[in-house]
Amino acid sequence: MNCLLCEQKLASSPSWQLLLAIENTSLICEDCSKSFERVDIKEEDDVVDQVTSIYTYNEPMREYLHQFKFLQDVALAGVFANELRTELARKDDIIVPIPMHPQKKIERTFAHVEEMLTAARIPFEDLLIKKNTEVMGEKTREERLAMRNLFSIKPGSDVKNKTYILIDDIYTTGTTLRHAATVLKEAGAERVEAVTLIRAER
Amino acid sequence: MTKPFNPAIRDFLDGRIWLRMHTPFPCEEIDALLDAGDIQVIKGIESKPSFLNQKRHLCNRCENEDSTRFTTFNCAKCEGPCTYCRQCLKMGRVSSCTELIIWKGEKPEYPTNHTIAWQGTLTPHQQKASDELIESQNKRASHLIYAVCGSGKTEILFPPIHKLLTEGKRVCIAAPRVDVILELEPRLRAAFPDTKIEALYGGAKPTMEASQLVLATTHQLYRFRHAFDAVFVDEADAFPYKADATLQKAVQKAVKPGSPVHYVTATPSDKLLSEMKKTGFVSIINRRYHGHPLPVPKFIPLWNYEKQIRKGKLPQKLIDWTENRLARKEPFLIFFHHIGLMEEAEPLFQLIDPRIRSVHASHPERKEHVQALRNKELPGLLTTTILERGITIPNVQVAVVGAEQQIFDKGALIQIGGRVGRSADYPTGEFILFHNGITYAMDEAKAEIDKLNKGGVRT
Ligand SMILES: [Zn+2]
Ligand SMILES: [Zn+2]
Ligand SMILES: [Zn+2]
Repeated sequence: MNCLLCEQKLASSPSWQLLLAIENTSLICEDCSKSFERVDIKEEDDVVDQVTSIYTYNEPMREYLHQFKFLQDVALAGVFANELRTELARKDDIIVPIPMHPQKKIERTFAHVEEMLTAARIPFEDLLIKKNTEVMGEKTREERLAMRNLFSIKPGSDVKNKTYILIDDIYTTGTTLRHAATVLKEAGAERVEAVTLIRAER
Repeated sequence: MTKPFNPAIRDFLDGRIWLRMHTPFPCEEIDALLDAGDIQVIKGIESKPSFLNQKRHLCNRCENEDSTRFTTFNCAKCEGPCTYCRQCLKMGRVSSCTELIIWKGEKPEYPTNHTIAWQGTLTPHQQKASDELIESQNKRASHLIYAVCGSGKTEILFPPIHKLLTEGKRVCIAAPRVDVILELEPRLRAAFPDTKIEALYGGAKPTMEASQLVLATTHQLYRFRHAFDAVFVDEADAFPYKADATLQKAVQKAVKPGSPVHYVTATPSDKLLSEMKKTGFVSIINRRYHGHPLPVPKFIPLWNYEKQIRKGKLPQKLIDWTENRLARKEPFLIFFHHIGLMEEAEPLFQLIDPRIRSVHASHPERKEHVQALRNKELPGLLTTTILERGITIPNVQVAVVGAEQQIFDKGALIQIGGRVGRSADYPTGEFILFHNGITYAMDEAKAEIDKLNKGGVRT
């Protein structure tokens, strides 16, 4: 098999861990893997109780996201499966991906956050609906603050008095996560945390 | 009577295979031509059942059939399992629910008036090869020009290309590497000033015109189909073309059925050489256009160079060689097998001269640095094999650090040496192979150069 990013041959190591499926195979080579830079920040926020981000938004990460989301290379959904699994190896918390607007999802042909969770075999609940197609990056701070909530709870879903963990690909201004956390808390969630693959500079 | 249509659509689509949703024209115009039968829709991916519930897929754009280069996912657009091709992904994804379009209407007519503005004359060797190539083209047979580096192989192509153009034919020159295309473009524009020429490579914008002469990286030919009356593949032995079956198929798909693919290279593979002897014709030129011999490599041991560089120390012989070039104001290229090692060596070279830079395939300033070396603003460059071919810099001196590495096969070493002594004003120069042990490839490269210089050829 070749590295999904640079196409060089992956060193195959048919070790006993692999045979017993204890260790998960990597989809990318060591060079590509090393090019991503860990940041591992945990931050607190007034609405989102804790935000954990795993990587910085460096050039290789920008390229990864471009190929995955804009070139629609769904195969890349599993590149960070091991890292996401490690980060989310918690007991009872409920994982909730940040959704795409249904129209956008059809255009892209897949919802990238859900695909990442599926590839990592992490169970999740699809609780939120994105109400409009606005793109956060195109807004000023004032516009972002004045916006009505981007999300609503899916009709018929049951939000419990528990901890929910929101998942998104990238954390930039935090507006998206705050909106999602607000609707979850209003619906009865006790605590809302978030894990994002990437932390961008503001 | 057919309804009038925008001829730009015909000129753009003829010979191409394109994503329906990504044409530079309004959807309504495309739809109208579809209804009129001038445009035909083809499925992006053809899937056939195979054994054990597996499916065999074929990408209708790049003709990839390798099952490891397809991914199947649950598609939100076509609401089911959908397969896409990863081989040609970067040109816009082609999946099961993607529609490709081809032109089926009347063909554009290409002009037959073309000036050839090139002022030089061909040497008798070049002239003979050029005539032989025209003869093969007349028979619609493939032709190989096996010509040493610096023999002026591009000029050999001028008369056959001119003849094709004046017959209203459409021609493509394809090369695996973008550097070769970038070097060819200004030369061909100068040689054929009246001809509509287009250069296609990753990042280049297609013109809307019906270009009669197309220069393209072999990758770009994924997007052509039955377009050309002849394709000339320059440097057919270069990566990635020589190792990638889909690129070879793309070239065959780009010519019209029954039209020939010609090859031009200084280092044909044994396979290409024997194939062409069987099914086509071969012209051989073992003299450079200025008549001087090819530079013969000099082997110099550089024991444990990798360890020394990793420890932050340049081997003394390498320092001496570089200082010598600087003192004599000779531009130089130093080849490395590995980007990491080259980047560790770069600051060490900058202690000798702070203007020394390095380049590699995805280096953001690659084009600028090479231009700066040409302009004598930089004294020399460290490079990966990316500059092994296509580049001509008067009086350039060349060294390879780690010539024993596998990436430096016979062809690569001959190409690297081919950078030296190309201009008639500076027909000689240094061609040093610094090594940690002599390999077969090094011996073979030297033996072939010696043989060519004595007037012999590989058979
Ligand atoms: Zn890789
Ligand atoms: Zn393809
Ligand atoms: Zn689909």
